[in-house]
Amino acid sequence: MIKILFVFMSLMLAVPAYALDGNELLEQVDRNLNPESYESYKKLINIEPDGSKKEFVLFTVKKGKDKVAAMFISPASEKGRSTLRLDENMWLYIPNVGKPIRITSLQSVVGGVFNNADILRLDYISEYDVEQVEENGSEYLLYLKAKTNTVAYDKLKMWVNKNNMLPSKIESLTEDSMLIKTLYFKEIKDFGDGIVRPSVVETDSPLYKNYKSIMIFAKIKEKEFDDEVFTLTFMPNMDSLR
Amino acid sequence: MKLFILLIFMIVLFPQLILAESDYSFDLDEIEKKPYSFGGYIEARPVLLGFDKDASLYKLKLYNKDEGETAEEYNATIQLDGSYEKGIARINTKINFDMQESYLGWSDTLSVFEGYLSLKPSSSFSINGGKKTLKWGKGYAWTPSAFVDRTKNPDDPELALEGFISLSADYIKSYSGALKTISFTPVLIPVYDDVNDDFGETGHVNFAGKLYLLLYDTDIDFMVLAGGSKTTRFGFDFSRNITSNFEIHGEFAFVNNFEKKFVNNAGDTFIKEYNAKSYLFGIRYLTELDTTFIIEYYHNGTGFTEGEMEDYFSFINTAYDTYAVSGNYSDLQKALNLTEGNYGRINPMKDYLYARVSQKEPFGILYFTPSVTGIYNINDQSLSLSPEILYTGITNLELRLKTSFLVGGRRSEYGEKLNDYRAEFRVRYYF
Repeated sequence: MIKILFVFMSLMLAVPAYALDGNELLEQVDRNLNPESYESYKKLINIEPDGSKKEFVLFTVKKGKDKVAAMFISPASEKGRSTLRLDENMWLYIPNVGKPIRITSLQSVVGGVFNNADILRLDYISEYDVEQVEENGSEYLLYLKAKTNTVAYDKLKMWVNKNNMLPSKIESLTEDSMLIKTLYFKEIKDFGDGIVRPSVVETDSPLYKNYKSIMIFAKIKEKEFDDEVFTLTFMPNMDSLR
Repeated sequence: MKLFILLIFMIVLFPQLILAESDYSFDLDEIEKKPYSFGGYIEARPVLLGFDKDASLYKLKLYNKDEGETAEEYNATIQLDGSYEKGIARINTKINFDMQESYLGWSDTLSVFEGYLSLKPSSSFSINGGKKTLKWGKGYAWTPSAFVDRTKNPDDPELALEGFISLSADYIKSYSGALKTISFTPVLIPVYDDVNDDFGETGHVNFAGKLYLLLYDTDIDFMVLAGGSKTTRFGFDFSRNITSNFEIHGEFAFVNNFEKKFVNNAGDTFIKEYNAKSYLFGIRYLTELDTTFIIEYYHNGTGFTEGEMEDYFSFINTAYDTYAVSGNYSDLQKALNLTEGNYGRINPMKDYLYARVSQKEPFGILYFTPSVTGIYNINDQSLSLSPEILYTGITNLELRLKTSFLVGGRRSEYGEKLNDYRAEFRVRYYF
């Protein structure tokens, strides 16, 4: 009887060792996409159905799990605008207006398919829990659920390549599983210092038929910043970090 | 006029050149930082005004002119921004040149909006000296606690404003926990002949200060201004996101011993001194369909009552009748003097409601934003209603068509404005 009980308990304890820990996978994906604290330059391109496009270049800094800030370098009409995100708080500073104003994650400071949450992205693990993991050949499919109702998208479906643990596609969904947009991760590039990740993220949305937005990364570099950089008072001075 | 046509021509020409270039490349040259920067915009803004010839302000300002039913106005602006950075020092300038050809003739104004030196020895401390806009307060249309700024125009709250000459510092400290940030901004504002002489009484060095807290995800500011050029005043504001698409904000300002100068319908002037309390409460709400609502209620403690405004308008009409009969315009001149910086300030009465509804990119038209703005005077039930459309689809070019309709009875704020309606087309090119 003791033997049977021992075998039964061993089997019970053994099961979690073989199960995939979704949150651990998600943390790996986060770290492979970028260091926890870094600076980067990225270009956003909005493409309309007739092929006309509009480009924005941003300088972005991030620290830890909940602090990220970005400043527009071009075009001239947007130059000097900066955005700050502390957890779910977001502000926009427009040089002419002067004082930073609160903005919401669902708005878009650039128009098009990317919204503020896409531009000022925190680590996925800080906003989502992995509810379920499926293995499909060479990929994992992670089902993510927002930790709070202040997160821009309630659910995400993330396809992750098993070999490099980088996402290839992410679908952003509402609570009712309605598709809002799809992100496609392309063109893996070595940015140096061990950062190897997709350099292009394409986005489309059923809400913007035939429109497309592209994010291109030029530089990603691990860097530490003071906490004071991520404050409203510092926003007009973001250019001094470059 | 020739200059105006040339400006429009240049503005329209530039984007075509720009559209011809650009591809998907991302060269490192694009992100190279230079020690200097230069930019700005040129703007052309023709305006059509529809006069209300029975309105008090028409009689006051155009009593000796006959301008017909409508008038055209041609405005042009050049704004230049520049900076130079070396080590911890940075010089910033913003120069504005406004030109206007209107029914009143030609006028132009060259203003240095900003010109200051900034020293930044660390990310938690900076010091600024020179002419600078500080832009305090959280209100979108009105900011009663912005004690060291010029009054912004709720009809166009995002316009750049001229600063005051000041010496200021910023000290920032970040924490983890409920209190995430504290920052303190002390400001010294000298007011002498030829130095900030439009700030208030000359011969004083004024002190202002702002303490900012990010506490429990809420922005909170406490402000003070003292020193003699204006009476001592205290302020408070807050802003907070309730959900990812819903923000609330508010302001409170206490002005000690405010002096209100007003006139009765016979033209006798009075001064009343009292402690004025102003406050504002507002929301910003974004719907699932990308419609943004900005709504604010504003109580202006320094404002005029409905009766005081009626007396002012009655005095103007009596003065005009005197002029029409005798040609004596001395009372009209007295009314003009009372208007300047007093009855003529932006939204001079007590209680207002502001509402702006804008729809981002309707019908899938990217960079196209139609909106409607209403400013309602609760005291006299008059209204300014301004529909507008904005298109920013061409790189660095902004096109805005805006109309305003002023509705109100006789002796009401908007009913007595110079014009019944106005339409303007603004073309702005950034470089």
